[in-house]
Order: sequence, then C-alpha cells, then structure tokens
Amino acid sequence: MRTFGYVTIIAFISLFMLIAAGLAQTSGYEETFYKANTAYRQDRFQEAADSYAQLITAGYKNGNMYYNLGNAYFRLDKPGYAILNYERARILIPRDADLNFNLKYARDRIQDAIEEPQGFLETAFFWVGSFNFKELLYCFAALNLFFWGILFVRLFKKTEWTYYASMILFILWMITGASSGLKWDILSTDDRAVILEKETNILSGPDAKDTVLFKLHEGTVVHHERSEEGWSLISLPDKKRGWIKDGALENVIENK
Amino acid sequence: MKKVRKALIVFFVLYLLTGLTISSCFAGYNNISMTLSLDRKEATAMDSMGMVVKISGVRSNDSWPVVKGLESFDVVQIGSSSRIEVINTTFSSAIEYNYMIQPKEEGTYKIGPAQLTIDGKTITSNTENLTIIKPSRSSDVDRGEIFLSTSLSSNKIYIEEQAVYTLKLYNQGGVKLVSLSLPETEHLILKQIEKPSEYQSVYNGKTYQVLEVRYVLIPSKEGTYGIKPARMSLNVMQPRHGSGFGMFDDPFFLSSGSISKNVASEPLELKVLPLPAKGRPSEFTGMIGTFNMKASLEPAKIKKGESATLAVVVEGHGNVKRIPDLKGPVQQDIKIYADQPVFEESVDSGGIKGLKTMKWALVPEKEGQYEISPLKVSFFDTQKQQYRTIETSPFYISVLPGAKEVLSPSSVAPEAKQTNNVVKKEIKEIGYDILPVHDSIKDLSNGSSLQNRNLMALLLLITPFLIYLLTFLGLKYGIKSDKAMAAVRIKKAAGIIIQQCRKGKICSGDMISELRNYLNNRFGLDLGSLTAYEADNILKSKGVSSETAYKFKDIILELEGAVYTGKGNEICSLAEKIIEIIKKVEKELR
Repeated sequence: MRTFGYVTIIAFISLFMLIAAGLAQTSGYEETFYKANTAYRQDRFQEAADSYAQLITAGYKNGNMYYNLGNAYFRLDKPGYAILNYERARILIPRDADLNFNLKYARDRIQDAIEEPQGFLETAFFWVGSFNFKELLYCFAALNLFFWGILFVRLFKKTEWTYYASMILFILWMITGASSGLKWDILSTDDRAVILEKETNILSGPDAKDTVLFKLHEGTVVHHERSEEGWSLISLPDKKRGWIKDGALENVIENK
Repeated sequence: MKKVRKALIVFFVLYLLTGLTISSCFAGYNNISMTLSLDRKEATAMDSMGMVVKISGVRSNDSWPVVKGLESFDVVQIGSSSRIEVINTTFSSAIEYNYMIQPKEEGTYKIGPAQLTIDGKTITSNTENLTIIKPSRSSDVDRGEIFLSTSLSSNKIYIEEQAVYTLKLYNQGGVKLVSLSLPETEHLILKQIEKPSEYQSVYNGKTYQVLEVRYVLIPSKEGTYGIKPARMSLNVMQPRHGSGFGMFDDPFFLSSGSISKNVASEPLELKVLPLPAKGRPSEFTGMIGTFNMKASLEPAKIKKGESATLAVVVEGHGNVKRIPDLKGPVQQDIKIYADQPVFEESVDSGGIKGLKTMKWALVPEKEGQYEISPLKVSFFDTQKQQYRTIETSPFYISVLPGAKEVLSPSSVAPEAKQTNNVVKKEIKEIGYDILPVHDSIKDLSNGSSLQNRNLMALLLLITPFLIYLLTFLGLKYGIKSDKAMAAVRIKKAAGIIIQQCRKGKICSGDMISELRNYLNNRFGLDLGSLTAYEADNILKSKGVSSETAYKFKDIILELEGAVYTGKGNEICSLAEKIIEIIKKVEKELR
C-alpha cells in the first residue's frame, strides 16, 4: 500500500515536470513572437522575418505566422517571398481581410501580368475559396453527424418531420461533402510555385545552354510540374512551358 | 332574309368607308397653306418670268390671291389648276395660280407675300427675292432665230469657290433638243443646279423663247482657264407650204417638217486665284464660300446628373464638304458625349449648299453655374473676299442639385456630396502600403498543417455511419431482446387470430386454443387452459369494458358448448363474431 503511495507521488511529480517543461517551452515561443513583433515595429525586418520563420519551423504553422512573415519579406523588398508566404497564409486564413489586402497589393507590384483562369468546379463551388480545409471538414463532420443521426431516429420512428429533416440534411451533407472533397483535391494537386529571383530565364530544356524561351520576374506564380537534376519544369496558364533552376522558385505547399 | 342581311352589311361597310374618306378629306382641309415661287432668282429687264402661287388644303376658290411687290412688273394671269392627291392614305388638294411677270426696270425686288381670304381667314404666303440686271451687251448683234449663249457669274474666282455657269438657248419656237455637250476642262467641275426654266425674253429687239439651264462651276486648281463653247444639237420645226391652190392655202392645212441644227455658245475665260496667305487663321480648314453658324443649348437649367444638349449647325454655300467636325467644348466637372455629326448637301440657285449638325450631350457632375466656351470655325468669305471666323455665343448652364443621391460603390468619385445638410467627402486614396502584422498572442496558436487530416474529424465522419449501420443490421437480422420479442408478440396477437378466423377452416375446439393464445400473447400470460370466466376477469383487469368482456366470455361459452356437445371438430361458425370482438378489445386497449 505504501509502495503504491510512492509510485503515485513520483507519477504526479513527473507529470508536473512535463507540464512545466511544456509551459516553459511555450513561454519561450511567446517571447520569440514578441521579439519578432518588436523587431518588425522597429524596422528590423530581417530579424523579424527570421523570428517568424523560426516559429513556423517550431510548429506554429498558422495563417497569421505566414502572413507576418510575408509582411516582413515585403518590407525587405522581397515580393517573391512575400507573395509565397501570403499564398501559404491564404490556404489557412482565406477570409482574413488584412491578408487579402496585402496580397493584392503585392500582386499589383509584380511585373508579369498572368491571370489564373478559374475552372468550372471552382466557379460552381465559389464558396470553397472562402473556407480553409479544416472549416469545411468540420462542417461536413457536423452535418454527417446530424444526417446519420436522423436516419438512426427513422429506424425506430418514421414520422413526417424526420423524413423532411433527413431530406434537407442529405442535401446539405452532399454539398458540404463535395465542397470538402473539392478543397482536399485543390490542396492535394496544388502545384503552384512562386518565382523568387528578380528576373529569371525560362529555358527550353534542363540545361543552361538551352534556348531562353521567356523571362519571368519575382513574385510571379507558376505551376511547378516536376523537378529533374536541379531544374524544374514550369507552366503558365497561357500554356507557356519551360525549365527553370530549382533555387529560383519555391512551392506554395511546403515539402511537396 | 339572308339576302337582305347581306345587303345591309355591304351598305354598312360602304357607309363606313365613305364616311372615313370624307372625314379624311376634310381633315386635310384643316391645314391650308400658301406658297409663292418664281422660276428664277435673277433675270434681265427683257425677260419674262413664271410665278406660281399654290394654295394647299382647298379644293376650289373663286378669287385670285393678291400678290404684293409687283408694282414694277407687268403681270399676266395665265390660268389656274386644281388637283387632289392621295399620299400615304391622306387626301390633299391644292390650287395653283400661274402668272407671267415682266420687270419694268432693273433692281432687286421682294415679291410677295401673296394673300387670300378663305372663309374669313386670311392666308399669307412666303416672299421671294428677284434681281433684275442689265441685259448683256451682245444683244446689239443679231444672232438669228436660234442661238446658244453662256455666261459666268464671275470671271475671277478663288480656288474651290463656286461660280454660276448659265446656259441659255434662244429660239423662236418649234425647237426640240436632241443633245447637249458641255465644255470639259481639266480641274473645273460643272454640276447642274435647279431644273431648266423656260421663259420669254427680248434680244436685240426680237422676242425669243428662252430655255435656261444653270450649273455651278468649281475650280480645283488655280490658273487661267479657257472654257470651250457649249454645243447643242436641235431639231427645228419649219413650215412647208403647199402648191398654193384654193383651200390648201388655209393655214390650217399647212404642213411642216424638221431640220437638224447645231448651235454653239461663245467661249469664256475664267481666272482662278489662290487663297490669300494674309490673315489666314490658324484653325482654317479650307472652307470657302459663305457660311453661318447657329447653336443652341437646351435646357439651360438642369439637375446634376441630367443631360443638356448643345447643338451647333454650320451651314452655307461653298465647298461644304470641308465643314469640319468641331471638337466639343471642354469644361471641368461636365462630362461631354459627342453625337455623330449629320451632314446634308443640296443645290439651290446659290449653288451647292451644305448643312452640318453637331450635337453634344453635357452631363454635369456638380451643381453650379457654368459657362460653356464658344465654338469657332474659320472660312474664306467669297463675298467679303477675306478670311472670317465665326463662333457661337457663350452658353450658360445652371446645374441644380440632383433629386436623389444614389450611393453605389462603382460611382464613387473623389468629390464632395451634400446629404442631409452635412457635407460628406468621398474617400480619396493618398498613399499606398501594406497592412501591419498580426501581433496578438492569440495569433500564436498552433496551426494545423497545410494538409490537415484531423483524426477527430475523421472519427466524426465514420462513427455515426458505423453506429447507424450496426443498428440497422441488428434490427434487420436479428438480435432481439425478450422485451422486444414480447412487444412484437403483443403487436401481432390480434393479427394472428383474425387471420385464422378469416381462413374459416378452424374448428371450435381449436378456436378456444387460438383465443387462449391471443390472451397469452396480448397480455404476456402463460395460460395452459382458458375458461370463459378467466377470460372475462383478465380482460376486465386489463381495462376492457365489462360489456366487451362479457361478450368475449359468451363466445368462449358457446365454443365450449359446441365442444361438449360433440361438435368440437366441426368448423366454427363464430369466426365473424370473434373478429368483431377482437377488434373491439384492441380498440378499447389502445
């Protein structure tokens, strides 16, 4: 019995230490965040950018962090990196007014005029762009719960109201399910990449000796099809294609 | 009877048509007007001219109109004619009064107006100007019975200025024109103006019938031109006398023949001068002739957002194709939209006439008083022999506040607005920059990865479906509790016995067993046997009325009676009664 008491005390102490360590770590990141914000306000943008990047690496991959990092790069006159991080932020916080304003402003400053055409599904499911995947998934999960719940009730009580409720829930369930599926597909197939160099040549092949087909400028969003030996094949909405050095662009979806 | 009805219908239709016709005729008479016209604007004192006074809108009139301004003319009334015309289903009638007038002396006269009183109403015509000039000096030479004469209104003109080339055929009757050959000279264009006119004139003491055709002559290049004679081929009717016997000497029997004759006019000389460089305005576009300009702005008072129309008309004689498309006025706070200019060209006695109408819609954006700057056009005035610039008078437009302010994001302009007595200013962008960082501690929350596969959400997706599926399968295939089984049995008890009764093949002994099973199932009992009194008690205890329980008891007693009297194996005759009582029991138990 006494042994049990010791074990219990040791367990409690261990748990307390773990929590304390976690809290200490959290307060450390809070301090980094505070320092980053202070650096930004005091025009030490490189320091701010490094701190925001550190937080993202540490797991704080939320829209606000990407947005702040984009702002810091913008102040550092790196519109390519700014747009890259704004685009990453937009995947997570698509309705954020500040983000949309800054992204539009940054896009207005880039040299290449490229309009991304909207597909049929994106037009039909126009609301999908205004929600992140998590929101759509939870919405679908909630409706899924209600839908199967009403069907469950109908196993025992087939009344008129349960019939109509099940019909309405079925329609909503279908819409949110399709929306979630579409969003998942968009994210899974998102091959966008941002040009990070001031000006870069797009070649006809993965070799520096190949013909220069056209030039792209910093901040332009392209589609990254594949990579080969340090070169990436990109395409534009107007069907132009060509090869670019790997370091001259970065994918919007990380680790892709 | 049918024929009478048909005749009545036809009569009615005709009556209507006649009524309509008459009414439309009278409708035409309501617009009575009078016009005075001369066959020429210029003549010599030796010429006679035709004058027509036309009264439209009347069918008959007894008195001749009185024409003023004819004091210096000898006037002969030639005759009158009336006519009725149908134009676009509208009837119109007119009377024409024809006169021959001959001037007594040279000068410029104003002929008209003609006046006439019809039904107590005095109608007045227009007036016409007539210039009587000296006869040409060539009239001293006798040129025979037929000759051709040409003249120019001026022998010295500027490039692109119009001169009138007049061709006159003098004859003494019996002439038929075969062909006319006009002189062709490079850089000189001839274009006929007006229809040929015929009149009488005196030349060198002889009276001639004159056929006059007028052309406008336009030089496109400076220089001295010799205009070759015009030539005419004619058939001249000549009387052919007979042998001179008796009655054939009567002029009535005189025969006639025609001979061909060619006549030619005298050559002319024309000097075409270049336009003077001196005094040429910078905005001169090459217009030569006589032009004037009219302009109007309507309405002069409008509300903000409404439109006013500025119309400018440039008209005159000359090289009218060079009338420029004027640029609209420029005025701050007024949007100006130009219409397509409209150009009309015609010919009259003065030569080629042109009229260009240009319109602009003026839409003020702010209230206030505005002065619209005048529009100018420059040309070389051939009458005054100098460059002239004509311009519209300045226009003033008064803009009142709009009736209603409509606030729409697309129409937002950087300007002031007055609403509810408070001057509100539109937002004007002055600078451009990005918005600041998100620095709230809430923004430091752990975000999900970009490709979020949230386990909880997945569980929420799968779990309800699984629960439903298991329940559904459980209900369908099987696992039923005793309670559920009992509930099923209760539900089905009445159904079973009613079904047995309807089959009609059950005997009385078995029917007692069926009734016992019914009570067992219905009330969850486990009776091995059933007496009538037991059944009565059970039913009463479960809430069935005494009457129904009594009837139930009676049925069992009857069945027992049948069993005990040896009829237990016979088909039960109480099936209908049993169904009825079971239904009653079920009803009372609900």
